[in-house]
Amino acid sequence: MTELVSLCSEPKLENASLIVGWQEDAGKLGPKVIDYLNKHIKARAFYEIEPVKFFPLGGVAIEKNIVQFPVSRFSTGEKKDLVIFESNEPTYERFKFLNSVLDVAEHYCKVKELYTISGTISPVTHTSSRRLLAVFNEQNFQKRLRGYELEAMTWEGPPATNTLLLWLAERRGIPGVSLWPEIAFYLATMEDLKAAKGVLSFFDHKFELNLDFTGLDLEINDQNEKLALLRRENPQIDKYIRTLEMGISLNEEEQLRLAQGVTQFLEKTPASLTPCSTNE
Amino acid sequence: MTIKLYKEPQLERPDLICGWPGIGMIGVTAVDYLRRTIIAEELGEIESCDFFEPRKVNIQDGLLKDLEFPNNKFYYQKLKERDLLLFIGEEQPTDSTRMYATGEKAYKIANLVLDVAEKFGCRRVYTSGAAVTQIHHTLKPRIWAVSNTKDLVDEVRHYENTVLMSEIEGGPGQDVISGLNGLLLGVARKRGMKALCLMGEIPYYLQAFPWPYPKAVISVLEVLAVNMGIDIDMIPLLEMAKKIDVGIEGFLENLYEAEAIPSQIRNETRESIEKMKYVRETPGPITDEDQKRIMERIDDFFTKGEKGDDRTS
Repeated sequence: MTELVSLCSEPKLENASLIVGWQEDAGKLGPKVIDYLNKHIKARAFYEIEPVKFFPLGGVAIEKNIVQFPVSRFSTGEKKDLVIFESNEPTYERFKFLNSVLDVAEHYCKVKELYTISGTISPVTHTSSRRLLAVFNEQNFQKRLRGYELEAMTWEGPPATNTLLLWLAERRGIPGVSLWPEIAFYLATMEDLKAAKGVLSFFDHKFELNLDFTGLDLEINDQNEKLALLRRENPQIDKYIRTLEMGISLNEEEQLRLAQGVTQFLEKTPASLTPCSTNE
Repeated sequence: MTIKLYKEPQLERPDLICGWPGIGMIGVTAVDYLRRTIIAEELGEIESCDFFEPRKVNIQDGLLKDLEFPNNKFYYQKLKERDLLLFIGEEQPTDSTRMYATGEKAYKIANLVLDVAEKFGCRRVYTSGAAVTQIHHTLKPRIWAVSNTKDLVDEVRHYENTVLMSEIEGGPGQDVISGLNGLLLGVARKRGMKALCLMGEIPYYLQAFPWPYPKAVISVLEVLAVNMGIDIDMIPLLEMAKKIDVGIEGFLENLYEAEAIPSQIRNETRESIEKMKYVRETPGPITDEDQKRIMERIDDFFTKGEKGDDRTS
C-alpha cells in the first residue's frame, strides 16, 4: 500500500464494480470509454498510484506539444457502486502494480466484480457491427452475464496486462471479465468510436446508467462521413474497404496502405464536418 | 512470495544441486540430465508470478484457463550413498533486461531456494555454470571450482579434471560468477551453508552460441557422479556433443569465409582459434587482447547476418 496516495477522503463504497481502462489502447478505446463514463457519473479521483516504481521517469514524452505523464488513478462519482481506474500500462513490475490496483479494489472499494476493457484489432470495417469478445476468470460470472451479447474468446499466446489482472483477481476471489471489442484495424491509431459505443452500451445496460449517447452518436456520424468522403476521393481506399466488407482479406501491403490512408486523412480533416457535431 | 511443497519426504542430510540457464546452458542441462538419470520426483516449486512474467495465456471458450510461467521446481531422490535435492530454474529473475539475475528478485529467490535446503537439513549446495576460456572445442573441458568455505577448497583439490579458480594458469584468481549460479554461494555463505560452484570450460568464441555445450555438461556431471556415488550414462550427451561439434565446425567455416570480414582478419582469427587445438592446459597462447578482437569479429559476423547461416535470424 506504500505506493498509494490519497487524494481526498475515502468514499464509502459497498459491493462496487471496478472498471479498468488503459491509456494506450487500440482505437483509443480505453481513454474514450473511461472519459465518457467519468463525465457521466461526475467522477472524482480519490486515490493515485505513485508512478516512480512502475514507469520510466527519466524524462517526459511530448504528444502534440503537450507533455505526457503517467497517470494511475481511481475515481468514483454519483453512482456509488462504480469505481473507475484509468492508467498507463506499467513499464516495470507489472504484478506489483496490478496487485496494488486490486489492494485498493478489495480493501477500500469492497469490489465485487472487475471489468477491464481493451480493443482487439480485427479485419472488420467501420461500417460493420462489432463483436464484443469476452474472457472471464470464473464460470459462474460468465453464466451471470449471459444475455449481454458477449462472445466467448478463445486464444493462446502472450498475456495482456488485462489478462494478468483478471488472473490475479481470480486468486483473490474477485470475479472478473475482460471485454475486447473489435477495432477496425485501420482505426487502430485513431478513435474507433463505434467500438467505444459498444462497450459503453454494455455498461449502460449492466449498470443502468442511462447514458446519453447523443454526443457520441454525432461523433460516430462525423467519423463515418469523413470516411465516406475519403472513399469518394480515393478509389483505392474505397476498393480496400469494399473488399473487406465482402469478407475478403487484404494482403499486408494493402492493409498498410489502407491504414496509412485513413490515418492521414482523419488527422488532416477538421474535427467536425457536420455543424451539429459536438465533442462529449 | 511462497514455496509450494507437494510432499515432505524424510531425507538424510541431502545435497542440493541447482541449475539456472546461462552460457552454454551448462548448469541447467547438467541438473536436468541428472534429474532424468536418477528419476527424481517432483518435490515442490517456487511460485513464479512473484519473479517472472508469464510466457503464455490459455483462454478457452471465454474462460481464462491458465497462465504459463517459467518453472522453478524442486525434485528429490533417495540414492544409495546420498539423498539428493535438485532445483531447476527455467529463467533467471532480473530487474532489467539482463540475462542474469540481478537485484532484489535474485536475492529473494536465492533465499527461497536456501530455505528449502535448510528445511531438509542439506549438507551442502552445488551450483554449476560456464567458465568462458581459451580452450578449443575439440578438447575436453575442465571444471573450474569455487567454494564458500576453506574446507571445501581443500576437498576440491582432490577432484579429477578440476582446478580451483586461484590455480588457473595465467588467471587472476579473482573473477565474478554472474547470476544465481554465483549469487547462491554468497547467500549460502551468509547463512552458514557450505556451497560449491562447478563451472565447465567453454570456448570464448562459443559464448554467444545459441546451442548447449554438452562437453562441459559431461565434465560437470563426472564430478557430481563421483561425489554422489552414482553412475551416469553419458552416451546420449556424447552423441549430442558430436552433433553440436558438426554445427560448431560449420559455424567456424562460415566465420573464416565470411566476405564481410577482411581476409587478413579472417586468417588471423582462424590461426588464433586453430592453434588452441594443440594447447591443453593453459589459457594462452592468445592474449586477452586477441580474444577481445576475435569476439568483436564474431559479433560483426552475427550482426551482419552473413549469408548461409540462419542462426543469425
